[in-house]
Amino acid sequence: MTTTLTETPRTSVAVAASMRGGAKTYGDGDAAVRALDGVDVDIAIAEFTAIMGPSGSGKSTLLHTLAGLDRLTAGDSWIGETRITGLSEDKITQVRRDKIGFVFQAFNLIPSLTARENITLPLDIAGRDIDPDWFGEVIAILGLADRLSHLPAELSGGQQQRVAVARALVARPELIFADEPSGNLDSRSGGELLGFMRRAVEEFGQTIAMVTHDPTAASYADRVLFLADGRIVDEMREPTAERVLDRMKQMGH
Amino acid sequence: MFRLAARSVQHNPKRLLLTAFAVALGVGLIAATHIFTDSLDRGFTRLFGEIYDGVDVIVEPVTSDGDVGDPTSGDSVGKDLDDAVVQTARSTAGVELAMGSTEAVGALIGTDGETLAGGSGFGPPTLFFNWTGVEDFDSATIVDGRAPEGDDEIVVDVGTAEAHGLTVGDQVVAGGADGTYPSTVVGTASWGDGNNTQGATLVWASLDRVRELRGGGDGWSVVHVRVDDGADAEAVAVAIDDRLPDGVRALTGAAKAEEQAASLGEALKAVDVFTLAFAFVALFVGAYIIANTFRIIVTQRTREFGLMRAVGVKGQQVRTMVLAEALLIGLVASVLGILLGYALAGGIIGLLKALGPGESFAVPIIPLDAVAWGFAVGIVVTVASALLPAIHASRISPMEAMRDAATQNRRGLRMRNIVGGALALAGAGLTTVGLYAGLERPYVYVGAGAVLLVLGVTLLAAQLLVPLAYGMRDLLARVWRVDGRLAANNIHREPRRSANTAAALMIGVMLLALTATVTQTVKSVAADAIGGQFTADLMVVSTTVPGSADDAVVADLASVPDVRTVTRSASLDARVDGVLVPVTVLDTATAEEAIAYETEPAFAEIDGGVFVSPSAIEAGAEVGDTVTLVGEDGEVTLEVTGEYPTSGDGDYFVDFAQAERLGTTIDVWQYSIVAAPGADVDHVRADLEDLVATDYPLLTVQSPDDMLALANQLIDLMLAVITALLSGALVIAMLGVANTLLLSVTERTREIGLLRAVGARRRSVRRMIRIESVVMSVFGAVLGIVLGVALGVALIRALEEFGFETVTIPWVLLGVYTVLAILAGIVAAWWPARKAAKLDVLEAIAFDG
Ligand SMILES: Nc1ncnc2c1ncn2[C@@H]1O[C@H](COP(=O)(O)OP(=O)(O)OP(=O)(O)O)[C@@H](O)[C@H]1O
Ligand SMILES: [Mg+2]
Repeated sequence: MTTTLTETPRTSVAVAASMRGGAKTYGDGDAAVRALDGVDVDIAIAEFTAIMGPSGSGKSTLLHTLAGLDRLTAGDSWIGETRITGLSEDKITQVRRDKIGFVFQAFNLIPSLTARENITLPLDIAGRDIDPDWFGEVIAILGLADRLSHLPAELSGGQQQRVAVARALVARPELIFADEPSGNLDSRSGGELLGFMRRAVEEFGQTIAMVTHDPTAASYADRVLFLADGRIVDEMREPTAERVLDRMKQMGH
Repeated sequence: MFRLAARSVQHNPKRLLLTAFAVALGVGLIAATHIFTDSLDRGFTRLFGEIYDGVDVIVEPVTSDGDVGDPTSGDSVGKDLDDAVVQTARSTAGVELAMGSTEAVGALIGTDGETLAGGSGFGPPTLFFNWTGVEDFDSATIVDGRAPEGDDEIVVDVGTAEAHGLTVGDQVVAGGADGTYPSTVVGTASWGDGNNTQGATLVWASLDRVRELRGGGDGWSVVHVRVDDGADAEAVAVAIDDRLPDGVRALTGAAKAEEQAASLGEALKAVDVFTLAFAFVALFVGAYIIANTFRIIVTQRTREFGLMRAVGVKGQQVRTMVLAEALLIGLVASVLGILLGYALAGGIIGLLKALGPGESFAVPIIPLDAVAWGFAVGIVVTVASALLPAIHASRISPMEAMRDAATQNRRGLRMRNIVGGALALAGAGLTTVGLYAGLERPYVYVGAGAVLLVLGVTLLAAQLLVPLAYGMRDLLARVWRVDGRLAANNIHREPRRSANTAAALMIGVMLLALTATVTQTVKSVAADAIGGQFTADLMVVSTTVPGSADDAVVADLASVPDVRTVTRSASLDARVDGVLVPVTVLDTATAEEAIAYETEPAFAEIDGGVFVSPSAIEAGAEVGDTVTLVGEDGEVTLEVTGEYPTSGDGDYFVDFAQAERLGTTIDVWQYSIVAAPGADVDHVRADLEDLVATDYPLLTVQSPDDMLALANQLIDLMLAVITALLSGALVIAMLGVANTLLLSVTERTREIGLLRAVGARRRSVRRMIRIESVVMSVFGAVLGIVLGVALGVALIRALEEFGFETVTIPWVLLGVYTVLAILAGIVAAWWPARKAAKLDVLEAIAFDG
């Protein structure tokens, strides 16, 4: 537990989100589970960060608490300059709305809205105008141009995930969180999706943090964080699929 | 299967709670009605038994067809009994004592001229009896003071004494049909054991005084008989009866008590039918809610049922399971409803007791028929409503288990539209037939037609909602942005569900709008009639007891300065071809000075003949024919000399000269007064008021405006009563909206979570649900208003012959109903919106439908 005591100083520039001493406990007494156990992490701007680790290691919990979807039991977290621990629910919602995009593993879309309406949903909610050029660019790159008036039920799983990514991008959030976005896709569709996310980082300077189990998916990232038992145990820059796989084997995965 | 159903109910009790409550409310109304009337029935049966307890045999007048009049009103029909009847009774073997008794309806007035009880106006009567001194016959015992001896002495019942602070020695005035009599209170008495007078004021006086109050005569209202010790009352009654002339009968006190209880039972049955009709409306609305709930539940459990089918459960078993669940809910709801009904009836009885007029209620129990009806109706309605959803569930294929809820294929609305259109057409047709075809029991056709119409419109409403939701989407999206658009989407997504929910509200609002249209039309027709037709300046009316056709009254009224004309309106019952018909009697020479009757020709030209109304014409009378009117003691054959334009004011119209030949009591209910030209009507009124206060305390002076105000009051009261009775159905409809929303919030849990994840605030989630609710409510209300007004107009058109020529659309009330529907929508959305807003984002997304 010493890690939580030695505070890593927050670098105030070029950080999109960060956490210090983040802890999350579910339940209490004997049944208590420490999903996060003192996490210090910085998500750098314009970087593609992958988060890996065994099942139950706390990856989703980390993502959720960073995004303000869930609250930490102890510690602090920031989005940009805003400390979100301690903010009211409504304030957090507002921060999330203005600065964050989210892609879930499944169930990303509102069934009653068309693809276009789903994509513009966060902007509609915030009452912000849509930048038609940017919208067109995102749609073109994701190959959704001829699918915009379809309902989610009329789209394939891969198309649905792409709509979700488009939704995250169109609002130009400072930060996109994605929880196993390619988990449901075959390797080709998954590859396309990850390729696009990579391009978004390189070409538009988008910041992305992504949870994945797949070493190939992780190889698209700039940096990989390894999580075990609610702690960050390692990190790797410029990952390749083989190196990631080796590292995972070491962790007894 | 039953165990599975029970588990399912147990697993999700909340979603079924509202459903059960919807049924329970309807059942509760039914049970309450039964419990209420049962208590009243038992109370009165006991009371009548008490009243006639000491009287062995009663001798009383009857009409030629054996009618003894309304036992609760205090006035008897037929003629007074003469002394010969008393003698006959007295001289019959086995009779120990026979005494005549006389009663009069009158008023009790304070020395300051303020009426204490009775007089003209509404409410329980003030009855004067002669004091016989025989306790059993008087049914009363002196509590304070003594019995009346002189003509100016009276005894009042203890309840009245307490209500008006009267004590022995106080001065009051007794008012009768044609005079007032200063009197001294010499005692108070208790009527029966508990002085349970039902609010009536009872006064005992000397025989002569009571006869004076009646307006003269030396007859008896009734003869009380006590039989010898050991004699059989029944045998004595038969013996007396054998010796009595026609028009008089003898029967035992016990038989009389039974007769009165039975006749009251009949009256209560009419009350029962009236309130039960509203209970069934409530249940009908409840049935919509149940059907809708089961439909939603079946949809939500499609995968579960698909899985069951995949592992080998038969479709029929799935159906049985759903129905078993309905049966369980029906049982619970029935028990709940019966208890609710007991609480409701007990509460109302308690309230009535606290306020005074509830003395005669027996302690309420839950009678067997309340239990039987409660269970039968509760279970049948629930199970029948769940039938269609259950059949639908049994048709779910095993394949559905694999399909995602969001990708389920939607069935088209075509079949629904065809069936809905057919039902609506059939309903409209049946209603029209019922209203215009002049069949027997038209209400059966109208009722059945209205039900079909409602069902048809409900089915069609789903189709109506699709374009409506699209049209509103843009509007709502402009006003409330995404929240509005999503709300419109949700309504449109399940047009069936939304339509059914709205329809439940539609039924209640439809009946409200129908009632409002009819009552407002009646109001304006009355205003037209009173304002346009009444050229009289003032009316002297009798509302408690019809005055006799005494010429002295006319002369006295006419003697008031500046009174130009006094013209009487009266009525009697006579027989034409053996059928009892209402006959209106008028001073035909002067009638048109006071009221602009639109007869053909004018009443002044009646020429000793008879005028006929449309209903008499329908029965075969024609101008030029002769009609024979048969009265109690005489008959006249008259030429039909004219026509009266509308029905409802009497079938036949004659002048007083002809009416008097019938030998039937003529009840004058109005003296219309026309003042001299240029006279000050207020002055005339004051003079008339002075006159009636002293000489005719049972009459009052009114202006046409007073009459209109009174009529409006009565109509408003009726509207209020019906609205109150419909509120049950409206509450159920609101529960229905809440229930549908609650279920759809559950269904959309993940969606709501997602909305929140991408930045929707709690407030906007709440608002989305609220908009959805309000739109559904307003949609239902508007449909209801359109249908209700349409039915109201049809009904009024069918009543044209009663003078309903124009329809008044109650815009203000309709506006109020719409606003109330908006409020109802907001209230109904409260819980579902709260639930939706409270959802935890992550849990919601992880939620497995
Ligand atoms: N709502 C909850 N209540 C109780 N325990 C929870 C809850 N959510 C997560 N946990 C526990 O917290 C720990 C971390 O869960 P988390 O979902 O973050 O794991 P993960 O790394 O995302 O796993 P996976 O790869 O399987 O998705 C697990 O032990 C899990 O059981
Ligand atoms: Mg996870």
